[in-house]
Amino acid sequence: MDMEQTIAPTESRYPAARAWIEAWRAARAEGLDSIMLAVDGPIVSALLMNRITGDLSRLQWDARQSDWEGVWQPSWSGIGETVASEHRIVQERPDLAWRLPSPTSVRGKGIFTYPLGPVHADVAESLLYRLHVMGDEIIRLTLQNGYKERHVREMMGGRTVPEAMPVIARLTTTSNVHHTLAMTLAVEDAWGIQVSNPVHVTRTLMAELERAYSHLGDLAALAVSTGLPVPQMQYLHLKEAVLRLNFSLFGHRYLRGSIVPGGLFTVDWPQDTDPVGCARVISDVLDQAEAVAAGLQRTSSFLDRLHGAGRIPASTVEWGRPVGPVGRASGLGLDVRQVRPYADYADFDLQVPVETAGDAYARFRVRVQELSESLTVVRRILGGWHPGDARSAGSAPPVLGGAPVREHGIGVVEAPRGLLAYSVRFAPSGRIAAMGIATPSARNWAVVPETMANGNILQDFPIVDASFALSVAGWDG
Amino acid sequence: MYYWHWLTNIVRRPQTTGFPTERDEAAQAMSDFDAVRNIGLTGQGILRRAMAIRHVDAGSCNGCESELGLLSSPDYDLSRYGFSFTPSPKHADILVVTGVVTEAMVPVIRQVFEQMTAPKRVVALGSCAIDGWVFQGAPGVRGGLDGIVPVTTAIAGCPPSPGDILRGLLAAVDGVDPALRKEAGQ
Repeated sequence: MDMEQTIAPTESRYPAARAWIEAWRAARAEGLDSIMLAVDGPIVSALLMNRITGDLSRLQWDARQSDWEGVWQPSWSGIGETVASEHRIVQERPDLAWRLPSPTSVRGKGIFTYPLGPVHADVAESLLYRLHVMGDEIIRLTLQNGYKERHVREMMGGRTVPEAMPVIARLTTTSNVHHTLAMTLAVEDAWGIQVSNPVHVTRTLMAELERAYSHLGDLAALAVSTGLPVPQMQYLHLKEAVLRLNFSLFGHRYLRGSIVPGGLFTVDWPQDTDPVGCARVISDVLDQAEAVAAGLQRTSSFLDRLHGAGRIPASTVEWGRPVGPVGRASGLGLDVRQVRPYADYADFDLQVPVETAGDAYARFRVRVQELSESLTVVRRILGGWHPGDARSAGSAPPVLGGAPVREHGIGVVEAPRGLLAYSVRFAPSGRIAAMGIATPSARNWAVVPETMANGNILQDFPIVDASFALSVAGWDG
Repeated sequence: MYYWHWLTNIVRRPQTTGFPTERDEAAQAMSDFDAVRNIGLTGQGILRRAMAIRHVDAGSCNGCESELGLLSSPDYDLSRYGFSFTPSPKHADILVVTGVVTEAMVPVIRQVFEQMTAPKRVVALGSCAIDGWVFQGAPGVRGGLDGIVPVTTAIAGCPPSPGDILRGLLAAVDGVDPALRKEAGQ
């Protein structure tokens, strides 16, 4: 069961701020994963999840009790996974006196800075990379985000749940099923809503379809980053095949709008769906994706570029604890679907690949195996899935009127890029009072600079970047 | 192996759709007929084929990027109409802007547009770039492209399907949406 722990100044021999950090550090060392850092009024809270049991706990600190004089803020105390939230807090809450580290300047003979962005080649999201190079070697990378900040968290304040959902679904469209699902789980948590099994199964189906097309797109980008357009085209064709299948099943290429709190929204679903035919398409996609991956595994020009490129230093893994395929390629086997099963995942014995090398090749292998696993799950579900059952089970979602049963609702899911968490506080009227969103991209971008400056040369940059496959929309939400 | 591919290619349908200039039921189904709206060509001269596209993300959710990326896939193959993506605005003929325009990106978009040589076109891709869509009124968000750069063609949708993006790009160049032209029986 979920528990809360509040650090008050009388409890400890340290000043409250330091006691809070020490308690957080101790919890982290004991196998709790920090999934969110948020400020709500005077309360600073860290949401923690047990890596084995999936139990959630909340560590709270009252900002009115003490100041940060002489105390290191979390990212300076070795807790790096919430550094993106820390940057937000610095801007929103000057009273906490948290500071951003001043950028260490790099000086020396023969050092050049390549500014790259916010507009860069081909089709890409806006982000400014500053690559400091000495000859070919990248010795430092600084990232500047915020160009596309849409302030979704602020926008959500005072909205009702139905008013919030369309924006949530557009925070990151390529993960919109998981964003919607995490928000839906948070709402169902707060209102105490239980949904039926066909709804769970359908949500699992959508989640795995999203993971499949997302990984196919990421693998296409990785293939072309090493100058191989043929596998890129093959992967893109498979991605398009999955997107068309999404459209034929749920009426939207990116599956948007089907998941709603309490059930499913089935009005836009096409009437004449053919799950068995779709399962055959998925079988085809699975066979072809495995063939393309096998071809890449035999291509030495591809392997040479990936082996050892973009290895995340061990100290950075320990500091930033990346999630998703990036984390699982560096030995961190956390997968929410296993430790805290949601939707129908308790019924699946998922094979979650874990690699330890932490380089671009390990991330490639993890993605390839996860893709096969996702497509297998999709095929299995489609074999026994009846859209009619899902329609009748989910089409009458309960009305979210009045006060929620609980003030806080939490939803944690495994998005294609990793752990995604929503923590929402509701006002007694049922409107959203405060909202915390922790996206996997925001978390994983924190380990990119150290990784890039770990013995890579300028030519490795696009490959390392593609092997992380992070979204800027998720960071700048 | 070569002959195997050769044989299967005879049996299989071509991967590339003919849409929007030819019939394709699958692409047609995902298309929204009213998506493309020509606001008016900038009147800076005629563009012939072989057009380079410069894409700028003004604050998108990466849905439009995903669809734009699929234009290079074998299924849509934008190069059959002479389109290509270019990293340099100096080489670009069409500026494609995706996402709601944030205050931080306004000067960037202006700069990219100024760097492009005439004749040039601006395509507002997706409902966000047209009017801000669900992000209207968000802090730090300007809204649509209006008043920043002159928009030639607006492609509505969230996100618009790749077929509609192709229609819009062709409309930006020719001044006529190929789907409308087909309706008129030309």
